[in-house]
Amino acid sequence: MAASISGVFSESLQNAILQCKVLIVGAGGIGCEILKNLVMTGFNDIEIIDLDTIDVSNLNRQFLFHKQHVGKSKAAVAKETALTFNPDVKIVHYHDSITSSDYGLSFFKKFTLVMNALDNRAARNHVNRMCLAADVPLIESGTAGYEGQVELIKKGLSQCYECTPKAAQKTFPGCTIRNTPSEPIHCIVWAKHLFNQLFGEDDPDQDVSPDTADPEAAGKQRVLFQKWDFNVFGVFNEILFFLPDTAAEGALQNESNDKGNVDRVSTRGWAENCDYDAEKLFTKLFHDDIKYLLSMDNLWKKRRPPTPLDWSYLPDGVAGCSKDTMESGLKDQQQWSIAKCGSVFKEAVANLSKALKTCQETSPGDHLVWDKDDQNAMDFVAACANIRAHIFGIPQKTRFDIKSMAGNIIPAIATTNAIIAGVVVLHAFRILEHNLKACRSVYLRLKMNHRNQLLVPEKFVNPPNPKCYVCAPTPQAVLAADTTKMTIKELDETVLKARLNMIAPDVMIDGKGIVVISSEEGETEGNNEKTLEQVGIRDGTVLKVDDFHQNYSLTVTVLQREQPSVKDESPDFLIVADDEDLKPKEDITISEKPSTSNGKVEKVEDDDDIDIVETEISPSTSEADVPKKRKTESPTNNTINKKRKVETNNQHDDDVCIIEDDREVEKVALSVLPAIEEKILTPRKYKSLPDDDCSIVYDGNEDQSTASSPKRSKQLAK
Amino acid sequence: MVDQRDDIIELTDAEAELYDRQIRLWGLESQKRLRSANILLAGLNGFIAEVAKNIILAGVKSVTFLDHRDLRIEDTCSQFLAPKTQLGKNRAEASLQKAQNLNPMVVVSADTEKIDDKPDSFFKNFDVVCVSECTITQIQRINAACRKYNVKFFVGDVWGSFGYTFADLGTHEFVEDVVQSKKMQVSEGGEPGGKGKFENIVTTVKRTIKFTPFDNILNAQKLPKESETYYLLRIMLNYREKYGTDPLPSERDNENLKNEVTAIIEKYNLCDSINNLVTGDLYAQISPVCAIVGGVMGQEIIKTVSQKEAPHNNLFLFNPDTMCGKILNLGKK
Repeated sequence: MAASISGVFSESLQNAILQCKVLIVGAGGIGCEILKNLVMTGFNDIEIIDLDTIDVSNLNRQFLFHKQHVGKSKAAVAKETALTFNPDVKIVHYHDSITSSDYGLSFFKKFTLVMNALDNRAARNHVNRMCLAADVPLIESGTAGYEGQVELIKKGLSQCYECTPKAAQKTFPGCTIRNTPSEPIHCIVWAKHLFNQLFGEDDPDQDVSPDTADPEAAGKQRVLFQKWDFNVFGVFNEILFFLPDTAAEGALQNESNDKGNVDRVSTRGWAENCDYDAEKLFTKLFHDDIKYLLSMDNLWKKRRPPTPLDWSYLPDGVAGCSKDTMESGLKDQQQWSIAKCGSVFKEAVANLSKALKTCQETSPGDHLVWDKDDQNAMDFVAACANIRAHIFGIPQKTRFDIKSMAGNIIPAIATTNAIIAGVVVLHAFRILEHNLKACRSVYLRLKMNHRNQLLVPEKFVNPPNPKCYVCAPTPQAVLAADTTKMTIKELDETVLKARLNMIAPDVMIDGKGIVVISSEEGETEGNNEKTLEQVGIRDGTVLKVDDFHQNYSLTVTVLQREQPSVKDESPDFLIVADDEDLKPKEDITISEKPSTSNGKVEKVEDDDDIDIVETEISPSTSEADVPKKRKTESPTNNTINKKRKVETNNQHDDDVCIIEDDREVEKVALSVLPAIEEKILTPRKYKSLPDDDCSIVYDGNEDQSTASSPKRSKQLAK
Repeated sequence: MVDQRDDIIELTDAEAELYDRQIRLWGLESQKRLRSANILLAGLNGFIAEVAKNIILAGVKSVTFLDHRDLRIEDTCSQFLAPKTQLGKNRAEASLQKAQNLNPMVVVSADTEKIDDKPDSFFKNFDVVCVSECTITQIQRINAACRKYNVKFFVGDVWGSFGYTFADLGTHEFVEDVVQSKKMQVSEGGEPGGKGKFENIVTTVKRTIKFTPFDNILNAQKLPKESETYYLLRIMLNYREKYGTDPLPSERDNENLKNEVTAIIEKYNLCDSINNLVTGDLYAQISPVCAIVGGVMGQEIIKTVSQKEAPHNNLFLFNPDTMCGKILNLGKK
């Protein structure tokens, strides 16, 4: 071990390594590499935490795990293997979520420094706040494919993780998903929602039936059906059922019934009643509902209308290839015919309904959780997405590609993780030497930049954003929302927890001392369904928000902003650090990405899933909800930023490949190898799905609102 | 030609599952090429242990460890494949078990002969030869042998917190993606209205790069700005050439190294521009730096074998002072 051999390090660093206590948050790709480096270097006192268990697809890079460890705790096995490198080191492991209240301020204060090796934004935000509150230096890192980055977060010295706005998740309007899909991803999102409707957790915002409130389907029907969606039942996740062949008439009939008794059944209830009969499900989803959509004829004036499918006559040809020739490639990369989709659908529905029944036998009311690595769950989504794509004339995708998109897989490789973890530990050395200013952010690129750099350090440590709503001395934010529509529950769930990443907020109206949300159970539940206005929150109201667990206080000024119309893609509310940012600016175009000061690469280690949510439930979508460019940045800083931004763009534009000597490069006139082309399109296309070149981290967890709670155990029968 | 190996059998389901995430990055074709590649790794120090880990995880066909040296106490700074209990035993053999555990699908073997005793024809058994801890003379000889048999040649080292990699791939052919933004017509099933959308079109282009042997980079005259690490490389290689070994941690500030430093400073009129570097940590091999330099080397081997993406041509230098990793293209005629 390096620190036990005199002369390897300077004496002061050697002693600091031997005496310090460090925490690694995450035992995935980067975490395994960091742990190995620390143990070999001679760190004596290490703690590591991870709530995840080992999956086969981890083994190509998380090298402390082997096949026999699949299913076991990552933190436990990482420790076990690391101890074989050096049995004398003290390693404490936790198979747990770092956001749990067990790891409070006093826990973080134990450490000399903390190293993040995470794969989701919620946990990164949380550790950021804890380290700021505990005033412990944090080294943040992430990788995506060939690229990665490392940065220091130290209160008062550097930017914190939340100083710069992070790219919002890609979202789609509800009616695009439910009524007028035009891209494969729309069908995939719909299929995932359908999974949850049938087998998973009920989410009212994931309705898959035709959206009758679509303003585009104007005219009589629209008025008519809007009534439906907002009738006294007020429940969104219910689906209307119409008789086959008479969808439109049925709709009208039901409308008249509206005044009387309406027979409304939830999707789940209906599916259970017909015993998850594949043919009946198929006919409702891919025939009757489509016919119904066709009856909303305004939708199809400028679009290709969808074609309902008949279960008994599913086309068995595959576009562009003959049935008899087996294409080369992985099994998952074969294109399915619609007939094949039908049979996959049938089998998946049978297996999933059985699995649902089994899990409900042991705990009633339980449900399945969609998991890209579960064969049946993935089959179901791939089949449904392709059938729906076929109906709407959208190109179909292979199961392999759909898995990337549905699971939002960020490809991760061993080498990138190793390099980034190496830089993390070199940063740790600097911190131990009290040379924090040397911990400048470092970026790893696929190709060198114009200055021949492959590993690119910043010129200096990025200073904190004085208006940051997390690390500023008195954090402040502005919430622009419709106080007549937003409920207290929405304020709690979507604004404070999902958007502002609090764990257990308390909210008080400033000056009045009225507590509107309490983290103590049973104190303010009565407010849940009230609107902000009803509890006295209006334009200009100042809220004092506290998260005791995160030791975080935030002053929120509320501005009245009318709720956008249904078709409007802008979000229901905006959160900004400065109300100046809410004013329209002429020099900013819609297409501009949220500015990040240094054009960092996407930070994601792992393959975790980002959910693609619809606009209605998305807490932050618009570029307007984040400051464009902070006026506080020094001019020098800005220059650098611009430069870096150009570089970043270059790296995605392989045309601008920098090769010093043209003579050495023969460009073989765009001769494309067919096999290779096919495979390349996959990762690239997928890559353009999340925001390409701006910084930040994808959210790992499927479900935003529960992102900070321990991952629910996988309940699908394998 | 970028080889079109149609004869390669398809990946098994187990392979597809294990390599899923990387196939999504570099594609199936690259994975197939990887699993037919035979790699020689010589000099099982901490740096080569990192290279070994990376390419064994990636799923090459075989990895041969060649090393006649025994495991020393300095190796315990970073050589995580060889357990401490194996001190004094042959490094290649001591690393075998843990290396094999990383991926049972890769054939891993150890050869304890001296690299100098191997005839030139030995190297033609491999697609890639990657060596470390060699003297300049050894590097030149192995590089020439590899050139003779069209074997891809790599060399690299880590001294303390400084390191480099070098590649001579002869005439290397590869494919890379070219992304072009193109304004798309809205498809008929799409949203109505005149909203034009930009879509990235990816095409694959074949390219060829000609490399130069290690010899040619040894006396580079014109260097780009901020290339001080090149001089440090020369110092460390000269020291090894002269003394047959690297300075030990117990030999910090030793006179022999100082003499090599002075020689290079005088030769290139460097004044005090490399003082920071030469007074830094240059002893044994520091684990995080092995991870960085070994990570770069591992990725270069993967790129070379899969003939996907442009390899770095030809010298990578890691500056521990600035954490900058730079690519220099030296030795052009």
